[in-house]
Amino acid sequence: MASNVIEIKNLTKIFTTKNKEQVTALQNVDLSIKKGEFVVLVGASGCGKTTLINTIAGFEKPTSGEVLLHEEPVKGIDPRCGMVFQQYALFDWKTVINNVDFGLKMKGIKLKERREIAQKYIDMVGLQGFEHVYPSQLSGGMKQRVSLARALANNPEIMLLDEPFAALDAMTRQVMQEELIRIYRESHKTILFITHSIDEALLMSTRVAVMTSRPGRIKQFLNNDLPWPRDADVQLLPRYQELKSAVWETVQEEVMKSAGLSKTAN
Amino acid sequence: MPDLNTKAALRPGFLSKFPKDLRIVSIISIITFLALWESIVQAGFVQPLFLPAPTMVYSDFIRLYERGEIWLHVSASARRVLVGFALAGAVAVPLGILLGASKFLKAIADPILSILRPLPSMSWIPLSLLWLGITEAQKYSIVFMGSFAPTVLYTIEATRSIDPVLIRAALNLGATRAKLMREVILPGALPPIISGLKVMLGIAWTTVISAELVAADKGLGYLIMDGKEFFRTEQVLLGMALISLTVMIIDVTFRSVEKKIIPWMEG
Repeated sequence: MASNVIEIKNLTKIFTTKNKEQVTALQNVDLSIKKGEFVVLVGASGCGKTTLINTIAGFEKPTSGEVLLHEEPVKGIDPRCGMVFQQYALFDWKTVINNVDFGLKMKGIKLKERREIAQKYIDMVGLQGFEHVYPSQLSGGMKQRVSLARALANNPEIMLLDEPFAALDAMTRQVMQEELIRIYRESHKTILFITHSIDEALLMSTRVAVMTSRPGRIKQFLNNDLPWPRDADVQLLPRYQELKSAVWETVQEEVMKSAGLSKTAN
Repeated sequence: MPDLNTKAALRPGFLSKFPKDLRIVSIISIITFLALWESIVQAGFVQPLFLPAPTMVYSDFIRLYERGEIWLHVSASARRVLVGFALAGAVAVPLGILLGASKFLKAIADPILSILRPLPSMSWIPLSLLWLGITEAQKYSIVFMGSFAPTVLYTIEATRSIDPVLIRAALNLGATRAKLMREVILPGALPPIISGLKVMLGIAWTTVISAELVAADKGLGYLIMDGKEFFRTEQVLLGMALISLTVMIIDVTFRSVEKKIIPWMEG
């Protein structure tokens, strides 16, 4: 138990909408993540995945239950969890390098040192030559690289990624996936990654968690024992197909349920 | 990128918003307009007392120019606008940012701002004359009162328009409240604040003219009023033309400054 970096116990989150209706986003969620794991959370849209990651990051407070980081409850926004948002969330008024070194600046690190660190991560995500460009001049894939470099430069123990590649075109997405895998293999960070793509989940994870539709619960855990390196060729393995249909069965049931259909209806 | 196009389209400006070949169309348009106007008056369709021809307005410009009065009136109005507007901005922008960042403070200020906002600057003229007399300070105060409440409200809106995900991102990267304000909220709100100030500067001009129409011994509003008193319609039109021209020049200046303050909005 002591090796759990993130531990979620019986987490429930209820929102009250403007019409005073209560919506249960998460119900009795249990999830433990060990150091160095790459857990991918798969689920249909609106199943509470983002709520879960926001609660871990400290953006939202649990209605009941707890979120523990190293056995300590999360109090407020925790910089130990580096967040990468689907909408990039870059500071438009800062150049690429000033975006990347933002966290270091907040820590009070001297300009020269933080420039060196920022440069290292800019190189890592392949953005050499774009240091002094404003985000508005970058493509979506490049923006997400900046966002990734910004989170990494702050050297968080845990990386939380909320559908980071969902807005990218298929080819850029594949390049970014391979890059994130490489970064994971080099840095050994603990990663929680959200997606609604089963392929993305299988390509990247060491473990897959499948969420039910609202109210969100984790229905299935799957150890992903596919061999590394996980390039596109992995998708041709029979084991890949086995895992994919296992995940798909659960996901399909949930999608049908949330669409108001039963599995036998088709 | 369609959003960049709409931004360019929103920028007020005379010729710069058109591609080169369309500028010629604009130039022909204004020349035709002036020529038509001139010929109608010269042909005797309209009495010059009711509408003097452009050339008559121009000779009046030369008359006043030779007496050294053009700059006197333009600079008097411009100074009143800039001083009153700068004072209003210096108070209203920081206040607006504060109110935009704190719901509690906004709740305190809201009822007062709601009362101030609908009051036209003209309605402050009697009180300002009573308190300050026919002085420069009275003119400044009219411009101040005319632009203060709208600028506060603009700034509140600008501050609240910042994407909450940027605030989350900054806090996630370890920003404290003070650093969040300086690094994220201030620069993030700057572009909409500046567009708000541009609109307010135009409104400040209308307030100063109204103040000068009522009580002043110089300024463009005075020039118009003085022309009316002595049935010098060409002087009235000259005053109006000078207002347009001055506002255009200030607008162009403001835009070039804007590009320096918010370089990331280009490209």
